[in-house]
Amino acid sequence: MTKEPAAVFEAVTKTYGSVRAADGVDLTVRRGETLALLGRNGAGKSTAIGMLLGLDVPDGGRISLLGTTPEQAVLAGRVGAMLQEGRAVSRVTVRELVGFVARTYPRPMPVADALALAGLTALADRRVDRLSGGQAQRVRFAVALAGNPELIVLDEPTSALDVEARGEFWEAMHGYARRGNTVLFSTHYLEEADSFADRIVVLDAGRVVADGTPEDLKRAAGGALVSLDLGGAPSAYLSGLPGVTEVEIRGDRARLRTDDSDATVRALAARDAIRGLEVAPLTLNDAFLALTRARAGATPEPEPSR
Amino acid sequence: MSTPTSSPATPPAPSVLSTTAAYVGLETRRALRDPGFVISTIGVPVMMYLLFTNLGGQNDPAYRTVAMVGMAAYGAMGAALSLGTGVAEDKSTGWLRQLRITPMTPRRVVTGRALTGTVVVLPAIAAILLAGGLLNGVRMSPAHWAAVAVALWLGSLPFTLLGLGNGYRLSAQTAGVVNVACNLGLAVVGGLWFPVSLFPGWLAGLSAWTPTNRFAELGAALAGGRAPGAAGLAVIAGWAVLFGGYAAVSYRRSARTV
Repeated sequence: MTKEPAAVFEAVTKTYGSVRAADGVDLTVRRGETLALLGRNGAGKSTAIGMLLGLDVPDGGRISLLGTTPEQAVLAGRVGAMLQEGRAVSRVTVRELVGFVARTYPRPMPVADALALAGLTALADRRVDRLSGGQAQRVRFAVALAGNPELIVLDEPTSALDVEARGEFWEAMHGYARRGNTVLFSTHYLEEADSFADRIVVLDAGRVVADGTPEDLKRAAGGALVSLDLGGAPSAYLSGLPGVTEVEIRGDRARLRTDDSDATVRALAARDAIRGLEVAPLTLNDAFLALTRARAGATPEPEPSR
Repeated sequence: MSTPTSSPATPPAPSVLSTTAAYVGLETRRALRDPGFVISTIGVPVMMYLLFTNLGGQNDPAYRTVAMVGMAAYGAMGAALSLGTGVAEDKSTGWLRQLRITPMTPRRVVTGRALTGTVVVLPAIAAILLAGGLLNGVRMSPAHWAAVAVALWLGSLPFTLLGLGNGYRLSAQTAGVVNVACNLGLAVVGGLWFPVSLFPGWLAGLSAWTPTNRFAELGAALAGGRAPGAAGLAVIAGWAVLFGGYAAVSYRRSARTV
């Protein structure tokens, strides 16, 4: 089975006025993986997705989708997508809407399956514009998967959902991914990227600043956190310890980010400074902040992790 | 449950005809479920027709026939224009953008919308003709009834194009206002509500150039068993070309931003 990648971005740029929404994006989405595009608001996630779906045209670079152009892949019914800004379609029932979209695809899944996957079976005959926010979001998910596409693209699929609805949504999405389909979703929730993606691509200011598994990202951002009580001692020397890349003092407690926790701890022991010592792996949240903070306002520099 | 399909060969896409029919069906249902649409394109014209032809002892059968055609034209125009308002709303809710990521081409979507226009005018036309035949005692041969109905149906196409042009070009609120203004303005100046014979000379002259006036004239000629005049047909065709161009330009402009 020869398989071209699900999607390829090559040096893609896009500018809106003075905002560089895509600033040389290179990215390959492999078949069958669930990939999270992670970034703050305005990092360029929606721009990347719009161009991937052929809704927007890049200023520079190339995008291929399932081995062809975005337009061709969409027309061939190989892609399903859930856009961010959608409001409910008026005066149509859930079944009518999902059934209609399915009919436009060459190889749709049975409407009942799409409704079941999205948890909408009981709501099939309700009008879409009379559903709650979470229910309407699931309708848009059913619309995205009704055509049984090879790739499904979800732009911030859970932004309007409460915690419980978010859990239900991801359960439905997992069911679809388990069938061997490729899923690309964008989010600004770290926990979502960490729990549901095989691979996380961090976007910041229109650039890919990190790319890998959640574990890769934590490593790339620099190892571990060492924290200790200062006991009133001066703290100026801490930043000079081996491995330490960042020092944060909160009250009497110091938090050291280090890429070599063993060396840092040995140096602390040599100074007899160990009080209430804690060594913890970096959380994804710390990694994300470190990766995006490093680039805030920075001039272009080599990609840290590719 | 269907299994994940991984064969690279893409099966033939569903036929253009069947997806377009499904799309027209969906949009028609959406239009007819809007109470505002039903009231303004069926309820109001029928009520106005019955009032105008029965108040003040106006029992002239000829007037009842002419007014029937005029009001049917008014109802059909309202239905055709409000379809464009729906397009503007779908632009703002994201439905048009969602359609762009289905295998339907944007061109097929706009064609489907225009075809929907030719369907949603039918209840408006039928309601007035039924009111004329059943309640107002308008009598014509079956062939004349059919000719009038077909003329009203085909003659509403320019207004569908005008509505689509407004819908693709303007925001939802603006499109609604502009379509209502077009509807009322063209109805009054075109003589659909009050006969042109009551107009001052300059307004009657202007009226002869409106699509609505010629639309009603076409129906009235057929109802009276006369052949439609060439001048009237030329005016209608001219407006159809103009509105068609407007719709095409608006559509192309918005395709870049939807």
